[in-house]
Amino acid sequence: MPATIAAKPVNGPDQGIFHNTAGFSTLITVTVLTLAWLAGFASRLFAVIRFESIIHEFDPWFNYRSTAYMVEHGFYNFLNWFDERAWYPLGRIVGGTVYPGLMLTSGTIHWFLHALNIPIHIRDICVFLAPVFSGLTAIATYLLTSELWSRGAGLFAACFIAIVPGYSSRSVAGSYDNEGIAIFALQFTYYLWLKSVKSGSVFWSVCTALSYFYMVSAWGGYVFIINLIPLHVFVLLIMGRFSQRLFVSYTVFYIIGLVFSMQIPFVGFQPIRTSEHMAASGVFALLMAVGALKYLHSLNPKGEWKQLLILGTIVAAGAVFLAVVALTYMGIIAPWSGRFYSLWDTGYAKIHIPIIASVSEHQPTTWSSFFFDLHVLVCTFPVGLWYCIKNINDERVFVALYALSAVYFAGVMVRLMLTLTPVVCVLAGIAFSIILELVLKEEDTTQAPIETEEVKNDKSGKAKKRVQETVQAQDQGPGLYARPGTVIAFMILLMLFSVHCTWATSNAYSSPSIVLASYGNDGSRRILDDFREAYGWLSQNTAEDARIMSWWDYGYQIAGMGNRTTLVDNNTWNNSHIALVGKAMASNETAAYEIMSMLDVDYVLVIFGGAIGYSGDDINKFIWMVRIAEGEHPKDIHEADYFTERGEYRIDAEGSKTMLNCLMYKLSYYRYDSGGSPPGYDRTRNALPGNRGFKLTYLEESYTTEHWLVRIYRVKKRDEFNRPRVPLAKRTIPTSNSISKKTSKRRKGLLKNKPTVVKGKKMRLE
Amino acid sequence: MSIELPAKSKMRIFVVFLLFISAICGSTNVDTISGEVKIKNVDRIIDCSSQLVKTTSKITLENTGKAPLKNFLLAVESSVKDNLSFLGVKDSNNKDLRLSETVVKGYGDVRFYRVDLKDPLNVGSTAVVVAEAVLTKALQPYPTAITQQEDQLVKFIGNLYFFSPYHVTSQKTNVILNTKTIESFTKVKPFSQLDGTLVYGAYANIGPFTEKELSVHFKNNSPFLTVSRIERLIEVSHWGNIAIEEKIEIEHTGAKLKGPFSRYDYQQDHHSGPASVRSYKTFLPASAADVYYRDTNGNISTSNMKVKKDSVELDLRPRYPLFGGWKTHYTLGYNVPSYEYLYHSGNEYLLKMRVIDHVVDDMQVDELVTKVILPEGAHSIKANFPYPLTRLPDTLHYTYLDTQGRPVITFTKRNVVENHIQDFQLRYTFPTIFMLREPLLVVASLYTLFLCVIIYVRLDFSIHKEAHVKAN
Repeated sequence: MPATIAAKPVNGPDQGIFHNTAGFSTLITVTVLTLAWLAGFASRLFAVIRFESIIHEFDPWFNYRSTAYMVEHGFYNFLNWFDERAWYPLGRIVGGTVYPGLMLTSGTIHWFLHALNIPIHIRDICVFLAPVFSGLTAIATYLLTSELWSRGAGLFAACFIAIVPGYSSRSVAGSYDNEGIAIFALQFTYYLWLKSVKSGSVFWSVCTALSYFYMVSAWGGYVFIINLIPLHVFVLLIMGRFSQRLFVSYTVFYIIGLVFSMQIPFVGFQPIRTSEHMAASGVFALLMAVGALKYLHSLNPKGEWKQLLILGTIVAAGAVFLAVVALTYMGIIAPWSGRFYSLWDTGYAKIHIPIIASVSEHQPTTWSSFFFDLHVLVCTFPVGLWYCIKNINDERVFVALYALSAVYFAGVMVRLMLTLTPVVCVLAGIAFSIILELVLKEEDTTQAPIETEEVKNDKSGKAKKRVQETVQAQDQGPGLYARPGTVIAFMILLMLFSVHCTWATSNAYSSPSIVLASYGNDGSRRILDDFREAYGWLSQNTAEDARIMSWWDYGYQIAGMGNRTTLVDNNTWNNSHIALVGKAMASNETAAYEIMSMLDVDYVLVIFGGAIGYSGDDINKFIWMVRIAEGEHPKDIHEADYFTERGEYRIDAEGSKTMLNCLMYKLSYYRYDSGGSPPGYDRTRNALPGNRGFKLTYLEESYTTEHWLVRIYRVKKRDEFNRPRVPLAKRTIPTSNSISKKTSKRRKGLLKNKPTVVKGKKMRLE
Repeated sequence: MSIELPAKSKMRIFVVFLLFISAICGSTNVDTISGEVKIKNVDRIIDCSSQLVKTTSKITLENTGKAPLKNFLLAVESSVKDNLSFLGVKDSNNKDLRLSETVVKGYGDVRFYRVDLKDPLNVGSTAVVVAEAVLTKALQPYPTAITQQEDQLVKFIGNLYFFSPYHVTSQKTNVILNTKTIESFTKVKPFSQLDGTLVYGAYANIGPFTEKELSVHFKNNSPFLTVSRIERLIEVSHWGNIAIEEKIEIEHTGAKLKGPFSRYDYQQDHHSGPASVRSYKTFLPASAADVYYRDTNGNISTSNMKVKKDSVELDLRPRYPLFGGWKTHYTLGYNVPSYEYLYHSGNEYLLKMRVIDHVVDDMQVDELVTKVILPEGAHSIKANFPYPLTRLPDTLHYTYLDTQGRPVITFTKRNVVENHIQDFQLRYTFPTIFMLREPLLVVASLYTLFLCVIIYVRLDFSIHKEAHVKAN
């Protein structure tokens, strides 16, 4: 990383000196971009070096599984894939419910390498896809920034985005998720859009539409593009910056982009049927209206037409708006979905869709995470924004809108920090470029301008004096040392930035989360591999079609690593199904057994962190299960029952009775007597469980991992528990001895003499 | 590094090859039971302390006929012939004797082996040979399912007498159990029970083909690990490296686990789960390096490696302890330097490697598939095996920069035990010049690429701008 940082300032003066030698500046650009690519790639490898080449977390496991499926069975079979391993008994139509861009990208790379006989496993392609794409993102950012400002700013921006934690948080090796390639597609689409607005050429518009198509195929965040570009056009219209270039580029982009985006099965008719996409079509209609009025205006460019033009535009805008509203009311256009409402009203999700609110990455962003993810960039990007607004043109309007909207969204949701990061890098790149240009360029030209000034203002003598002063006097130091001081200060800032980026990527974002590491007092590292232990056990030692019930967080991992059927998973499309699982977890054993047998559950898997102090376990998530269950089954589940009278959520003796008897509690603490002292102490919640020594009637422990992190229970079949267990010694009934011949004669019918019936009666009497 | 095999071993290879051919063609040998052979004494040791049943019989042969005896027959009961994994015979000098399967008319059920003696046995004299047999799956867990805390009990059912086509004058049998917990055993006098060993005999004058059930029911907590399938891949590179990768599926085939598994009990009490397998040792060649141990979900972090003088000892712990009926699978790979296994003289090469390597002590392998990938361009491949194997059709394997594919030799065998850890030999011709092919390929393609770039940069392929403007 220092290499890239060091390489950047070289660019500043060199651009000045070798301004005409295009070859040299190309060399520098290529070198810097290559180094940025390498640095970005290398800084994302912490997880691979510390652990291994492995897919991380939750969603990547699904992406990996479907990629592997696609590689094995071909693209068309993938599109038609009905996954009966998920959402039992509903199943999932995978081809129609994924953004296939990610799988296609890695599948294409795999196909290409195998065509060259390079036997690389698809897993390794998936693991390293995001780091490789971070380099492409850096290049796209360079192109975008150089389109906006200058090539120097572009190089800065490329170096920033290569290592900034806000982006590497989603693109470390192993984090095989849509975002990894989507940010590249996003930046590249914006670059092409600016290019087409600038040139007004159909070619660039079509390129924009193609890039947009790739983005649509890769990530649901394409909605950001399809709203931001119309917003850009709309604002340009308001600013009176309508032009033929704008007209051509937007209309071409919109129509081709619309048709392309509808080719993705998951998107389908959404672009013309949902409110999220209506801004784009509204602006398209408006642009057409404005274009028509302008044409009329050009026929007779005189007085009255001007007012008519403005009036006509306003009427057209109003008509479009009313048409959209009317269509929404008529039900032709679907209203905003809950996820989008939650962007405007941050409290919305908490009340109406607890499942969205339960995900930590959907929480509002804290101030510290802005600094943590962007470091010095968060302070410098307003400078770039200010310069862009100061020297406004069509493209800079775009970047200003991009920055403002992204800042808003990033404030609403931690996850959307990702869309803010690229624009922050672009603007900070511009800011740094301007500052260094000011500081470094003048240094070269100081002598010459002053001398010319000297010649010109010979009369005043002021300049002369100044020259003398710079030569002689030391007390005017600040002026002299300001520039090197600024340079040094900024160099230190950049160095701190790169150190921070490395540190943040290494410590905060490079944990695979399926392998945990703990450090002993002597610094030795112990690997806690309980997740894979449990999933490995599931995959080898349960029936092929066994159905596993767990909270939805682990659905993808069970399917990916355990290769077993799950009830709910991270694709949280069916809230009531999830609520049913939540209800089973929150009910007592008997009620839960009814639900579980209704759902044909064979095994129940819970995550229990009490033995090692792992805080992300199911008991800590449990309150969300209760809330989601209550949303669907308000009669049976009441959130208040799980809190103590004082409103505390606890598991010790003071915990509420419902809490201490629910299935989740029992499965977590069943026979949990190890741990620290006193035995059975829960190290995560620092409490002694309130209900201990209980027995399970309907389930039995099937497997518990070494550190108790994953516990798997088998749901008993009905014939296994509804009769008391008779010890082997007592199973034989002394029929001939106890019953005299007389009584046996008196008894008519064979049924009564059947040993099973007699045995049952006997036992009960005892 | 030229091949200088002693004539004797060349001879042996030839013999083994013949054996192999004969095994493939089906046993065409027909023998008769000679009435002139008598067995004076048999000392038999049946070792049941592991999951295998290893029988060592010290046989004293006597030639009562009139002509010198060149060979004699060994017989295997029909009840155990499917369990028989290995049979070997040594003479008193501890040299292997040649063994071939044969048929005797009138005894269709019984499997016979003809043993050729090194030196013909003179009339009236005696010779001592030692026959070693290994049976797999001869110990049946009984009861078939146990709980976590219970010991594993197994039943061995065998023949009380040495099964032979000849009259046995005197015989003695020791059954080694290594445990004092014996539930029941056959009691045919004279017998005695020393700690962990049952001694039967001596029984006098037992006629040919006599069978009497010997049944022992005892505690056996030794690991009952069956390798249900092992795929061994040997990739030979002439750049000095041989990569070996073994894909192993392993199953605990002892008494199945009944009822719940309790981690608490398993953690509190180290005697809990006596029949379970927490870990086992695998020995690799001493020069093995870059060892990896993983499964489809990635690296298995619970393993230790010790480099010893004559081997590399791997202490492998599966992700979870193995109880009866539980399975696991993994991939184990390592590299060895090729100079230890690959010999050459000119363009002629000889690869000498093990058909199978050690997986676990007293292992039993249901199915073994060994694949040898030779370098691209190797031809005239000849294989020699130490014992009969099924050779599958050769295939081609494509890897980095391959154009015509590397020849793959595949062979398979079922029911394999430790005694089968022996070397096979593969002779092939490989012109050394072929080694330069792949580097040259890279150089040539890069050269072409640069050339194209140079040509592209120097020449202007665009439609001339001024002409374009003029056309407008």
